[in-house]
Amino acid sequence: MNTQNGFAKHSQTDAIAAMQRLAETQLSTGSRLAYVGLLLFASTMLAVVVSLWMTEPNLPARTQIAFALMSGIGIAWMGFAIWVLRHRRVMLAGHRQVAGRMAVFFTGLFVLGAGITAVLSRAPASIAALLAGLVMLGVAIAILRSASHQQSRLHARRDQLQRELDESL
Amino acid sequence: MNDRVIDDTRKKADELLVVRCQLGEALAFNDLIAHWHGPLSSYVQRQSLNETTAADVVQDIWLRVFRSISSLRDGRNLRAWLFGIARRAWMDHLRGRYAAPMGAEIDIDTEPSLVTSGEEEVQFDREFVHKTLARLPSVEREVLILFYLEELTQQEIAQVIGVPMGTVKSRLFRARALCREEIESNGGRP
Repeated sequence: MNTQNGFAKHSQTDAIAAMQRLAETQLSTGSRLAYVGLLLFASTMLAVVVSLWMTEPNLPARTQIAFALMSGIGIAWMGFAIWVLRHRRVMLAGHRQVAGRMAVFFTGLFVLGAGITAVLSRAPASIAALLAGLVMLGVAIAILRSASHQQSRLHARRDQLQRELDESL
Repeated sequence: MNDRVIDDTRKKADELLVVRCQLGEALAFNDLIAHWHGPLSSYVQRQSLNETTAADVVQDIWLRVFRSISSLRDGRNLRAWLFGIARRAWMDHLRGRYAAPMGAEIDIDTEPSLVTSGEEEVQFDREFVHKTLARLPSVEREVLILFYLEELTQQEIAQVIGVPMGTVKSRLFRARALCREEIESNGGRP
């Protein structure tokens, strides 16, 4: 009986350890940030391609088709990254804040680059890319603010619950 | 401490665990698993009576938990939420199994016998409860497991199963009667 209980306990401990390893893999920050990076890269590329496509005059049909294909590929990668982040590598509050900071940083760089190009070249494509970059930067700032707000709210709730539980003991 | 205070403290502890998980604290997930793996495993094992199947379903439950805990609005409902996920994972497993071609998966009652002659009374009682439950229809068995073994309230069971509380009460009533009949018909033996 004791031996059997010992085996059962051992097996339960093993099962718990296996699930904790699964959690570690499933919740790793690195894999999430890789998909955030993919999303940022795909959206930046899409902004550049669409800006060129919309502003270049008298493009031949095959170039238009090429731009359409590249835009489609960019949208597909964005859709894939969003799907993974919503359903497979769901982001927790800490991940969201890091992702928000990454988004602000990289869209900020993009705006800076597009802005310098627009000032130097005055090309319509650069101005369109700058406008698209500004929209993306606005979205990134909104995401970061929402993530920070959520994290502060959760921290406050955690501290309050901890206090209440400590008092009740 | 009276029951209400204990229940309130338990719910606060559940909410604290959920909030820590939503913040992304790695240790919180370890605590969540350490605390709930046992109850979820035994719930599934009592439904499936097959250890391999149960282990697969439990892993599926944890994957669903990791992927959806950030959207749990009220952490005080953790218990009902977890068992709701466990139930849906089990139902999805059953749907998959019945959709598969006949003979694709043999999943009959293959639980290895845990009891040998001369074992102590505690083991005998466990076997007795297990066998009595196994003879009940699944609808009644489920409410008995959740109410008596997993200690969910009737309201929490209603949330888990997705039926009104009156239905839970009537199922519990019927389950108790069936259980009594089952025990009496066997003269109190498993």
